[in-house]
Amino acid sequence: MRTTALPNLFRLVYRNLLVNTDPGSLLILVGLPGLYLVFFGYGFQSISSAGGGTNYLAYLTPGIMSFQVVMAGTVGGGILWSDRRWGMLSQLLMGPFTRLQYLMGIMLTALLFGLGGSAIMLGVAYALLGSVPLQPVTLAIIFGTIVVGSLFFGGLLLFLAAVVKSNNAYNSIQILLLFVVNFASTVFYPLSSGLPLVLKVLFYVNPLTYVADAVRGAYSSSLTLTDLYQLVVLFVEMVVILFFAVRAYLRSDVSYE
Amino acid sequence: MIDRPLGSERGTSFEPVITAENLRHTYDHRHFALDGVSFTVRRGEVFGLLGRNGAGKSTLIKAMTTLIRPTSGTLRVLGLDVAHEGQKIRERIGVVQQAESFDFTTVQKNFDVYGMLWGIPRAERVRRRETLIAKFGLTDSRKRRAFDLSGGQKRRVQVAREFMHDMDVLFLDEPTVGLDVIMRRTLLNSIREEVRRGLTVVFTTHNLEEADYLCDRAAVIDEGKILQLDSIENLKRLYGGKKTIDLTVANGDASRFYAALIERLGTGSTVTVQAESAVVLTDDPKEALSRIAELSQTLGVQLEWLNVRQNTLEDVFLRSVRHGGEDHGAP
Repeated sequence: MRTTALPNLFRLVYRNLLVNTDPGSLLILVGLPGLYLVFFGYGFQSISSAGGGTNYLAYLTPGIMSFQVVMAGTVGGGILWSDRRWGMLSQLLMGPFTRLQYLMGIMLTALLFGLGGSAIMLGVAYALLGSVPLQPVTLAIIFGTIVVGSLFFGGLLLFLAAVVKSNNAYNSIQILLLFVVNFASTVFYPLSSGLPLVLKVLFYVNPLTYVADAVRGAYSSSLTLTDLYQLVVLFVEMVVILFFAVRAYLRSDVSYE
Repeated sequence: MIDRPLGSERGTSFEPVITAENLRHTYDHRHFALDGVSFTVRRGEVFGLLGRNGAGKSTLIKAMTTLIRPTSGTLRVLGLDVAHEGQKIRERIGVVQQAESFDFTTVQKNFDVYGMLWGIPRAERVRRRETLIAKFGLTDSRKRRAFDLSGGQKRRVQVAREFMHDMDVLFLDEPTVGLDVIMRRTLLNSIREEVRRGLTVVFTTHNLEEADYLCDRAAVIDEGKILQLDSIENLKRLYGGKKTIDLTVANGDASRFYAALIERLGTGSTVTVQAESAVVLTDDPKEALSRIAELSQTLGVQLEWLNVRQNTLEDVFLRSVRHGGEDHGAP
């Protein structure tokens, strides 16, 4: 029997997109950040205006684009969990795929979500603001950062999914992690000098801060050397977390009984 | 079921498709789920693995399907080494797991996605999907989510879906659990049909009637060891000439009764006791029946059930797997 020419990896990605992206999930994955953009963007604008500040919606847009890397991470971890839960992980691994191909399929799917979600947020921002930066270099930096960020958070959530054995525990950890990562970052507000030391440290070590700073820097044409250093750190962290994620996943039990 | 030009000319042969030599596997470095297992599966045969829960059947299937790497020993499937050529093996096998495995979507989409994953072109996917959905009686449930189906329907989807792709060896881990009699027979006949086209099948089951119906040869496995391995006919012949007496005690001291029965019956009989019931395998059923009657009177024991019958594969299984109950006497 002649088979389709599509390589194994792309078949897996296509399958992930087909079966793990029902309309409800898509709405949450893309719609939730969109809602943040609309509600927070307009809601906090009044405070910003009262203080004589800049356009909060314009400030928030690159933050919400960065936020998509976290959503991408949840896609990665979620696919592994649901495949394990519904018995498809072992079924696929007894099929014509290697464990690594399966893992790369998940990462690539997460990446597509990160990039797609960010692009949609850019579109929403365009609709709300009337203009967004579309210069090739700016877009390259923004989406390059989104790629690294998506792989980092994809790896992180995949690592969690591989080592945590209970679905409830995984969900609880994910919710807590997402809360801390999102709100102890510069996605929604800038790092204030009045923050307690603990929160400051959290902001500084949070990879989402690096993503948000770099994307915002590129978006507003104010990229600093610090942002670039942060990008390098983010890249190194991504490599490290991917190493541990792959290791944990390859060592994890593929139970089907 | 599916036109498989490559397989249509093949038949049963002595060419080994799976060879296992002194296979051992441990999950905890203390207990062996597989303990020195050796066997060969020939091309075009249906090979049964019989055993109770936890006997090692599923571990063996996992090893043969490359899901786990055996701790020691050698295992080759289709001439390929399981430890080093896993992907090449997986490209040529099909597996129906014991547990449910579905994509969280409709029955029809499950077939489509699975066919796509196996690289079956779209037109062929549709043709196969329609054939299988009709054959396995899934037309009415094709638009329903697979996980919303009843246990039997789910099982049908799982088995039928595996025929979306071509394969040389099909591993079926308890495929008929939850199926009604008609669908069970449909499934077994479908497998037979595929076997006639040259498919090799490794089949685990608790249901010995099924093994009797489908398998050419079978291995009785318990505690990670193969206790018996032969053709179904030979396995049954192993105890040929003997008859089986099933009996259940209604009132009285069952354990005392059975202990006395074991003592009174000669070396030509064996007694397997399980709670209030026992299975007596004997050369001389008349003699055994008179002993049973005599003892029940002497000990004041009332029998609820007494039945004399020919040996079945189940008796072979029970005889082989001694740990399920007490087993006394010579075979």
